[in-house]
Amino acid sequence: MKRKRSHNLNNLLLFLVIALFVPLIFGSNQYNILLITTVLIYGVMATSWNIIGGLAGQLDLASFAYLGLGAFTSSTLFIRFNLTPWIGMILGGLVAVAFALFIGFPLFRFRIRGVWYALTTTALVEVLKVVFNMWEEVGGPVERYLPYFSGSIKYMRFGSYIPYYYLILGMLVIALLVNSRIAHSKLGFYLKALGEDETAAEVLGVNARACKLRALVYYAFLIGVTGAIYSNIYGYVHPSFFNGPESIKVAILGIVGGRGITYGPLLAALLLVGAQEFLRASLGGEVSGLYLVIYSVILILVVLFKPRGIATFFQDRNKKPAKQEVKKKNVV
Amino acid sequence: MEQGKEISLNMEIMIQSLFDGALMGCIYALIALGLSLIFGVMNVVNFAHGNFVMLSMYFSFWAGSIWGVDAVLTPFITFPILFIFGMLVYYGMIDRTLKEHYTIQIAVTVGLMTFLGAITQLAWKAQPRALPYSFIQGNIQFGGYTIALSRLTSAIISLIVIVSIAFFLSKTWPGRAIRATSDDSDAASLMGVDFRKTYALAFGLGSSLTAISGGLLMTFQQVEPTMGLRFGLLSWCILALAGLGSISGLLISGLIIGIGESLAMTFWDPRARSLVIYLIFILVLWLRPKGLFGRKE
Repeated sequence: MKRKRSHNLNNLLLFLVIALFVPLIFGSNQYNILLITTVLIYGVMATSWNIIGGLAGQLDLASFAYLGLGAFTSSTLFIRFNLTPWIGMILGGLVAVAFALFIGFPLFRFRIRGVWYALTTTALVEVLKVVFNMWEEVGGPVERYLPYFSGSIKYMRFGSYIPYYYLILGMLVIALLVNSRIAHSKLGFYLKALGEDETAAEVLGVNARACKLRALVYYAFLIGVTGAIYSNIYGYVHPSFFNGPESIKVAILGIVGGRGITYGPLLAALLLVGAQEFLRASLGGEVSGLYLVIYSVILILVVLFKPRGIATFFQDRNKKPAKQEVKKKNVV
Repeated sequence: MEQGKEISLNMEIMIQSLFDGALMGCIYALIALGLSLIFGVMNVVNFAHGNFVMLSMYFSFWAGSIWGVDAVLTPFITFPILFIFGMLVYYGMIDRTLKEHYTIQIAVTVGLMTFLGAITQLAWKAQPRALPYSFIQGNIQFGGYTIALSRLTSAIISLIVIVSIAFFLSKTWPGRAIRATSDDSDAASLMGVDFRKTYALAFGLGSSLTAISGGLLMTFQQVEPTMGLRFGLLSWCILALAGLGSISGLLISGLIIGIGESLAMTFWDPRARSLVIYLIFILVLWLRPKGLFGRKE
C-alpha cells in the first residue's frame, strides 16, 4: 500500500513538472494556452466527479450545473457589486454546495439511484438552463460581459491566458489531493462499499445518505470554484454554461478513465479531450463534425475493449484486478 | 360582460392547446414505447434513443427528397433500415457490455449518441431540414377549433402502431418470448427461449419503432442534429411516469407530457416547455419511484 502510494505520487510530480513548463513551450501562442486550459478544466471536473461518481458510484450528470452556478454567482457579484472574483469564487463554490444539498437531500431521501439518479441530474441541468434564460435580472438570453480592467490581479482579470492556466492547474492539484485523501479515509471506504452494493453497506451500518451527501458537497464545491474561474477566462456568463451534453461528457471521462482510480479521470481528460481539441483545431475548419466522429469512435472502442478504464493500462500487470460481478437486476 | 368574454376566449385557447398537446402526446408515447421495450427487456440504458429518432427523421428526409416519397410513407423504407441498424448496434456494442457495470453500458450508448449526432452533422450539415408538404396537409375545422390534419393522422397512426405492438407482445410467440425474458431471463432460457436472440429482436424492434415516429414527425416538423437529447430525455420522462410493463400507462403518460408541454407553451412561456416536463419528471421520481402505472414487483 505504502509503495503504491509513493509510486502514484511520483507520477503526479512528474505530471506537475511537465505541466509547469507547458506555458514556456507554447506561451507564444495564446490560443494554444486556451486549448490546454480547456483540457485541464475537463481534468478538474472529471477528477472532482470521481468523488461522487467513481467512489460513491452515483452516476451524477450535473457537473455543468455546479459550474454554471459558480460562474453566475461570482460574475453577478462582480458585475453588480464590484466584488472581486477571488472572494466570489469561494461564494460560488458555496452556492453550488447549497444547491447540491437542496437537491441531494430529497434525492437520497427517496433512494433515487442508478439510471434514475443519472436522468434526474441531467434534467436538473436543463431546468437550470431554462430558469437562468428566463431570469432576466441575473441571466437572460444575452451574454453578460465582465468588466475589463487590463492586467488587474486584484479582480482576476489578466491580460493573458497563462495566469488562468496556472489557476486551473492549482485547482487540479487540489482536486487530486482531495480525491486521494478521501480515497484513503474512512469516508472513502464507506463510499466504495456503497458503490459496490448499497443495501449491503447499509446493513453493515454505513449511513448511506450522510456519506453520499458529503461526497456531493466536495464535488459541488470544487466544480463551483472552477466555474468562477471559468467565467473569468471567457470574460462572460451565459445560460448556455448549463450544458447537458458536456455534463454527460464529464461523467464519461470519469468512467472511461477508470472509476475510483484517483488519476484515471485526469488521464482520460488529457487523452480524450486533448485528442478532441487537437482534432477540432486541425480539422474543424474544413469539415464540421468530423472531429466528433473520430472522437466518438475512439470513445466507443476504449469502452468496449478497456471497460475497467484507461488507467488499467498503466496499473501493475502482475496484479489482476478483482473481477467485479455486478448483477443486472441490482441496477435499478 | 367583458370579463366573461375573456374567460370563454381563454377556454377556447385552452381546449385548442389540450388538443394539440394530446396529438403530440400520442407520438411521444410511440417514441417511448421503443425505449420501454429496450429498457424493460434487457435493463440496458440507451442514451442514444433520442438520436435514433433524429436519425430516422434524417432517413425519412433522405427518402423524401431523393425518391420523392411522401413523409407518411417513408417508414415503409426506414423501418427495415432501423431494424437492421438496431440489431447491429446490439451485437456490436450492447451484447459485449451486458455483463459490465451499468455505467459502462451508458458510456457506450453515449459514445453512440455522440457518433450519430456528429455523423448527421457531417452528412446533412447543421442547418434544419424539412420535407415538402405531405398529402395529409391541411386543417379541419369544427366549432372554433383548428386541427392540423398531419398531426391528427400522425396521432392516429401512432395509436394503431401502439395497439398492434401490444397485440404482438401478448399474442404472438416472439412477443411472448420478449415478455418472458423481461420477467425472468433465466427462467425463460430454461423454457427454451434464446435470450440473446430475444434481446436482439427487442433492440431491433425498439429502434425500428423510432422509424415510424420519425416519419410521422417529418410530416409537420423539421429536423436538426441537436434535437436528439431532447427526444431522449422526453422518452425517459414518459417511461418514469408510466413505470415498466404497462402499455396503456405509457400512452396516458405520453398524453400527460404532451399536454403539459403544450399548456406551458401557450400560457406561460415557449421557453418553459422543457421546464414543465422535467419538473413533472423529478416530482414523479421523488413521490412515485415505480411510476404511476408500473406493475408491482
